[in-house]
Amino acid sequence: MARMNFRFLVAAFLLALSWAAWGQEQAFTNRSTELKERGAAEAGTLATLPENTEVKVIQRGGGWTQVEAGGKKGWVRVFHLRFPATAETSSSSGGGLSSLTSAFGFGRKTSQQTTIATTGIRGLSPEDLKNASPDTAALAKAQSFRADKPAAERFARDGKLAAVTIEYKEYKEGARR
Amino acid sequence: MKRIAMIAALLAVCIPAAAQFGGIDLGKAFDIGKKAMKAQEATKELSQEDEIELGNALTASFLGAAPLHADANLQRYVNRVGRWVALHSDRPDLPWIFSVIDTETINAFAMPGGSVIVSSGLLKRLASESELAGVLAHEIAHVVKRHQVTAMQSSMKADFFKSIGTEVASDRIGGRGGVAGQMVKPFALDMAGNLIKDGFFLRPLDRSMEYEADQMAIVIATRSGYNPFGLVAALQMLAQYKGDADAASVFSTHPPAGERIGELEKFMPTVERYATQPELEGRFKQVVGAAK
Repeated sequence: MARMNFRFLVAAFLLALSWAAWGQEQAFTNRSTELKERGAAEAGTLATLPENTEVKVIQRGGGWTQVEAGGKKGWVRVFHLRFPATAETSSSSGGGLSSLTSAFGFGRKTSQQTTIATTGIRGLSPEDLKNASPDTAALAKAQSFRADKPAAERFARDGKLAAVTIEYKEYKEGARR
Repeated sequence: MKRIAMIAALLAVCIPAAAQFGGIDLGKAFDIGKKAMKAQEATKELSQEDEIELGNALTASFLGAAPLHADANLQRYVNRVGRWVALHSDRPDLPWIFSVIDTETINAFAMPGGSVIVSSGLLKRLASESELAGVLAHEIAHVVKRHQVTAMQSSMKADFFKSIGTEVASDRIGGRGGVAGQMVKPFALDMAGNLIKDGFFLRPLDRSMEYEADQMAIVIATRSGYNPFGLVAALQMLAQYKGDADAASVFSTHPPAGERIGELEKFMPTVERYATQPELEGRFKQVVGAAK
């Protein structure tokens, strides 16, 4: 019995490992770029990655992405990565949002999960959107979820979101500098 | 271009007039309409009220094609994120409404007047609240710049407006109201119906509008206190999908994600100093992960 349990655990562990590897995002450098110790321009440089170096994405952090390249872990600028289109957008598969809570991962890693789900919600077809007829009860329901200004402000405070002042002009002119 | 404004003005005037007098003096209503047309012609756009009505009608139709997601917490959450972000746009006081539809198709839509629809297929592929904020800010930017209204005006045919006028007039004469009429104005429903048959939800906007919405989205999300790179991360996620034949998806109505990222790169140095603002991964996962 104990032996069986052990085998089961090993199998589960291996599955988890392979799933994790499978779910990892693959990317390529889109120019020659530096692999940094931290996500900061002034951080030490671990290596210079030539254009088209294959990397595995570990995590994102604002303008920098942590990757593993040639056995080294470090950070590269978010815009210096190119993501190849490899995932299917199967509209006939998918297991609903609850599939997100899988122990194996979350978020975009589930894009692979959706391909193995058997039941799911049908995707929206162009015909659906051309032949749509109004459902005013659904509209009323949608409107009942509306957030007013005070609710939105409370929600922002809970998330420690602090508004900042930045103008479109400032943003655009900054780009020309 | 002028015709939509003319018809809107005509309808805006003749519906209340007919309602007020319970009356069927069509000639009189049209005369009033003609005067209003001239006034409206000068501004060459739908009034904000008409825009909201049309947005309601389009949303009702959209929800007729794709069901609202059943999770109330999820709907409230997306509305809070969206409203907070919209408060930092140039049209903070529109009756903003954000609806999650239950479909695998990856897309988000903006209606005139402040209604935004996002698919659960897109939501479950996002990783944080700052990514969601970036996506919603893009749609909010379309509303703020009235991109859909501009697109409608340039795609509509002359005889199309004629038919709306007569349909609404006969509607009123016949005294037909119904449940739909109480919630969404008949002119808006008629207009929305014709727009939808014409492929309104499937037609891409100009590329320049998409790039403009992306740039504005970065500023709006940053102002709201979110990490400015949320939209970039969401676009990198989209870039990993092969666009398919599903014409109702983001892949057929938007420029390729890789090109959008390339456009954004030019503008990002200005907001890099805000890159320490929160991403709120935990709160996002909690709500979206719990949604059935």
